[in-house]
Amino acid sequence: MFKDLDPILHSQLRLAVMSLLISVREAEFTYLREKTNSSAGNLSVQIQKLKEAGYIEVEKKFNNNYPQTICKITAVGIKAFELYVQNLQTYLNKE
Amino acid sequence: MSEQESLEVIQQMIYAAKIEQKDDGKGWIIWGWVIFFASVFSFINLKTGWFEEFFFWNLFGIATILLLFFKTIQSFYRKKAKVVRTYTSDLLSKLEPGFFISLAVIIVSMNTGGVHPTKGFALLLGLYGFWILIYGVVLNFKPSVIGAYVVFAFALASLFVAQFEWTMLLHAVAVLCGYIIPGHLANLEFNKLNQEVNTQRV
Repeated sequence: MFKDLDPILHSQLRLAVMSLLISVREAEFTYLREKTNSSAGNLSVQIQKLKEAGYIEVEKKFNNNYPQTICKITAVGIKAFELYVQNLQTYLNKE
Repeated sequence: MSEQESLEVIQQMIYAAKIEQKDDGKGWIIWGWVIFFASVFSFINLKTGWFEEFFFWNLFGIATILLLFFKTIQSFYRKKAKVVRTYTSDLLSKLEPGFFISLAVIIVSMNTGGVHPTKGFALLLGLYGFWILIYGVVLNFKPSVIGAYVVFAFALASLFVAQFEWTMLLHAVAVLCGYIIPGHLANLEFNKLNQEVNTQRV
């Protein structure tokens, strides 16, 4: 029996962001942009979607007058990511 | 996006973030060589009698205070935000003050006559070994774990050395095994991984 893959995570950029955030404690927007090789606009949109799903926390602050956006995976996000990988494995095992 | 592509994205990103769990070893290399030379020059000095017994350690102390002062001023004026924080880097920075406080306690006790320098340097080696072990275990870096136990062995051996010049020589070799060699190996591994991650991105 194959379970549907979480549509929030089944998108290249959102999955990339979640995979990065699962490996670190928290990361700044510029770090995520550099590692995912994405544009600022697209990344902002995808981060907002992950935030709305409750998968990540986003903190906006100022450092030396420069705006900073810090992203952190939530417990809900970790669970969703684990489930996504589990479901992905069932698909891949079938192949 | 196919399932296979999803898996590739996950693998690529986890691999890209792996570099954050690594240390470049520069701290171990710099401190290692400085302490190594202070020990070796102290050994030569004690054999030849050029200067006062602790001349090179006093020089090292002054240089350290100046460096720390410079670093504090620099960090005050150049507040650079961290772009990424890991659990391991947070853990090490929280434990770091404990190492420096213990270090200060031993150094002060040696300077106030409470602990004889031959025994004091053995205690310092014990402390270095413990910090190297923490680093090696937290970052899962085997050369540091091995280096820590080598330093512990030298610390024990130092306790039975009566002449200070030989304590200095043991101190130098211990630092070579615990700081310098693992530091250079960590640096090599870091650079290699960094290069691989950059190549993959291109």
